[in-house]
Amino acid sequence: MSRWLLVLVVALLSGCAGMSKVGPGEVTVRDSLSVTLDGAWNQYSIGLTRKSEVWTLDGLPLDRLVFHVGIADGEALAELPQRKDRQVPKYQTTMQAHEIVEMYEVFATHDGSSFQRQKLAPAPFAGGDGFRFEFTRVRKSDELEMRGVGYGTVRGGKLYLVIFEAPRSHYYARNVGRFEAVVSSVRIRG
Amino acid sequence: MLRRQFLTGCACCGLLGRSSTLLAATPGPLPARLERPEPGSDEGGLWSLLSREEERLKRSRFLLRDGALNAYVARLACRLAGDHCPDIRVYIVRSPFFNASMAPNGMLQVWTGLLLRMENEAQLAAVLGHEIGHYVGRHSLEQLRDAKSRTALGQFLGMALGAAGVGAAGSLAQLALLAGMFAYSREHEREADRIGQELIATAGYPPIEAAKVWQQLVAEVKAEAEWSGDAGSRSIFFASHPDPEERSQAMANRAATMNGDGGDPASAAYAGQIRGHRRQWLDDELRRRKAGETITLLERLLRQSDDGETRFFLGEAFRLRAADGDAARALREYAAAEPRSDCPPEMYRSRGMLQRQAGDTAAASASFQRYLSLRPDADDAEMIRSYLQEGI
Repeated sequence: MSRWLLVLVVALLSGCAGMSKVGPGEVTVRDSLSVTLDGAWNQYSIGLTRKSEVWTLDGLPLDRLVFHVGIADGEALAELPQRKDRQVPKYQTTMQAHEIVEMYEVFATHDGSSFQRQKLAPAPFAGGDGFRFEFTRVRKSDELEMRGVGYGTVRGGKLYLVIFEAPRSHYYARNVGRFEAVVSSVRIRG
Repeated sequence: MLRRQFLTGCACCGLLGRSSTLLAATPGPLPARLERPEPGSDEGGLWSLLSREEERLKRSRFLLRDGALNAYVARLACRLAGDHCPDIRVYIVRSPFFNASMAPNGMLQVWTGLLLRMENEAQLAAVLGHEIGHYVGRHSLEQLRDAKSRTALGQFLGMALGAAGVGAAGSLAQLALLAGMFAYSREHEREADRIGQELIATAGYPPIEAAKVWQQLVAEVKAEAEWSGDAGSRSIFFASHPDPEERSQAMANRAATMNGDGGDPASAAYAGQIRGHRRQWLDDELRRRKAGETITLLERLLRQSDDGETRFFLGEAFRLRAADGDAARALREYAAAEPRSDCPPEMYRSRGMLQRQAGDTAAASASFQRYLSLRPDADDAEMIRSYLQEGI
């Protein structure tokens, strides 16, 4: 009995339980967006909400792709623990690219991490106009220097935001090409 | 966790504890320097653990490494600590929360959110003096030797040692959280308040400034409660500290028996020291999205110094809050900031965004053009140019 319990605990601790494989081929994200993958990614179940998904190639501490899809006026990108409603920024349809990135910064720094936007420019995304931004961040939990890139667009009054982040040394360069390939295949569904 | 850390200021360690009438018995000079504890003692064990934490802190990427500012704060701590100066080491940590803490081994941390909130050197001295009060009062040792705290110490050591494998910041974050276990008794807080206030009076600062630190904090917390309903009641700070209003009143009463508002608070000297850092600290402050606290803070700083930078950031706080009437409030602040020499060029970008949203295309275009002329190489220049090309 206790041996089985031990096996269960080890399985849970090893993190296997939280991941499932997605791709290759066409994959839909929260029924709102589709991508065509040339290889497999790992979907993290804990990052799943009604309007977001979290994927990784080499494991979550090392790289992370986050989709926020179909965020409507008045909705937040995510929940923030121990904050009152008015302390959580909400998406508004009047927001410009700058303000969307400002909103993202709040979520990227709520754990005490530092954030520095490096670039913000128009870019094609999901078959239309969008924007692309780059940033660096020192992650509070382990003080790793992270590098990130995100794409965003607004369709039918709803926000679609896709962000990739990995440690500046090695993992960003290793996987950012795979991320850009995902981005170039993004199609917003109906 | 940061939510819990807010205002944990002065709740941290300060382990060596003893007399409760230190300065009352010997006004002026502090007691003699403290000996390093025996390694085999309870105190010695915690001391060596904290020394390892200090080594990690020295390597932290969140440490502010500006030599001049570090030297300034260290000099001030030294001036207050007298003979204890060689035993105290100051670390400035980039974090937008009001916090300072003194570990029993003399590791004194000051967070940038606290530095941003101090109006003058006297107020910073009051906070440092308070922490030195815990240190020389050896308050944490009293806590440690209190039977009730022994279990807490066991948990503290276990968790801190466990966290040691996690990495510098993880471990430090644990320490900050666990500091709550060492929350001082209210008597210790009152004693540290008194010691701090006497130290600043002896150093020639107006003792009333110690009371103002708490008044300012209370005003921020009340404004946030009014805006968001976040009463701060879950904060360790409010659980472990004497009522801040009562505390502030006690210090104001004591100041009246001392030198009151006599003395130089050294406002200009302080402003000069933090000038080069304020923008980053204010950017960090805005990302907290505690509009009640931030607007109260900026309005207070504005009463002290009506400059373009502060006006701009107050405008930013209104723009980001985005409640009814906030766009108009932000535009008023930007207008007031514009003629001042220290108005950041980003004011034109923010103003342009609000004008664009309001449909005032000609004005928005002029604002964006001005931003681009001042910051032609800005990281977002292409985006701004695209706003202009879209005919706004």
